Amino acid sequence: MSKLLIVIPAYNEEDNIVRVVKNLKYCCPQYDYVVVNDGSRDRTAALCRACGFNLIDLPVNLGLSGAFQTGLRYAAEQGYDYALQFDADGQHMPEYIQPMLELMQSGADIVIGSRFVTKKKPKTLRMLGNYLISWAIRLTTGKVICDPTSGMRMFNKRMVNEFALNLNYGPEPDTISYLIKNGAVVKELQVEMQERTAGSSYLNLTRSAEYMFKMGMSILLIQWFRKREPVTFYPERRL
Amino acid sequence: MFFFSSLLPFPIRVLLILGSLATAVFILNHVRKAKVQIEDSLFWLIFSGFLLFLSLFPEVISWISHWFGFISETNVVFLIIIFLLLIKLFFNSIRISQLDAKLRSLAQRMALDEQLESTASSKNKEKK
Repeated sequence: MSKLLIVIPAYNEEDNIVRVVKNLKYCCPQYDYVVVNDGSRDRTAALCRACGFNLIDLPVNLGLSGAFQTGLRYAAEQGYDYALQFDADGQHMPEYIQPMLELMQSGADIVIGSRFVTKKKPKTLRMLGNYLISWAIRLTTGKVICDPTSGMRMFNKRMVNEFALNLNYGPEPDTISYLIKNGAVVKELQVEMQERTAGSSYLNLTRSAEYMFKMGMSILLIQWFRKREPVTFYPERRL
Repeated sequence: MFFFSSLLPFPIRVLLILGSLATAVFILNHVRKAKVQIEDSLFWLIFSGFLLFLSLFPEVISWISHWFGFISETNVVFLIIIFLLLIKLFFNSIRISQLDAKLRSLAQRMALDEQLESTASSKNKEKK
């Protein structure tokens, strides 16, 4: 039986974290999870401890990629076969974890829980960045990724070990494009996502524009030049 | 031809173009070996692109110089590049401050945890 770890990076999510994790435990009791508190300034860590959640509490803020990497390092060191990136704000629905895992086991390195495989992507300003990143990935890799900015991604063991160790492996579309270029098989599964119910989103217009600029430059210019190091899995490295 | 119509002598142009290309290669090589984070390399990559642009089209500098009435075109080049580097320096300064704060907080956390552990273990010994 292969093991899946659900990694939930959380930064200032005291309004959501308890509900999200309880819902996850209720829907998917068969999977392990870990909350990675990214040095939150609110009561996120305290609430997790009070509820007895499996928690990694980072003493300083590392940002999403640092927090997620912590979770994947935990997964690699504990010998998990798969890891899932799961948002702490309640956007992602645990009902889709099982189907994503099944798709993964049918032969993939990365499975993206995508909003726009069978449904049409709305032509709104909010989705403009999504269109641009999709386009950049298609231009540079020839592969169509319908929802590159989806934060619900599942990784297999090889990817977990690669993400856990390396620089420039943020859980972002540019890493996906780089991995596709290097032969990773990426599949998408149609999922529903919910609107954030409490708290405020990190992304405003300026931040979104900055993010798009970074991703665009990174995918179109920089990813060509990266060299991929071979992966040694954690247990072999430790011997 | 436009390319040769500038006041810049040909050897200087070649030197500038080669220099900016070498800068770009140097930066990309560090990206390739994963020695630098992509966010940090973006500035330098754009900067070397800008240098390449100026070495290919130095006329741009003459136009700016004439519009604003600079005494010498060299002043424009120095002004722009020094200003860009100052901004970069300022952002670096912010980064260092934040790293400093994080390092301090991290060291304090470790020391506090160790102190708490040792107090807890010595209390346990007293009980025994």
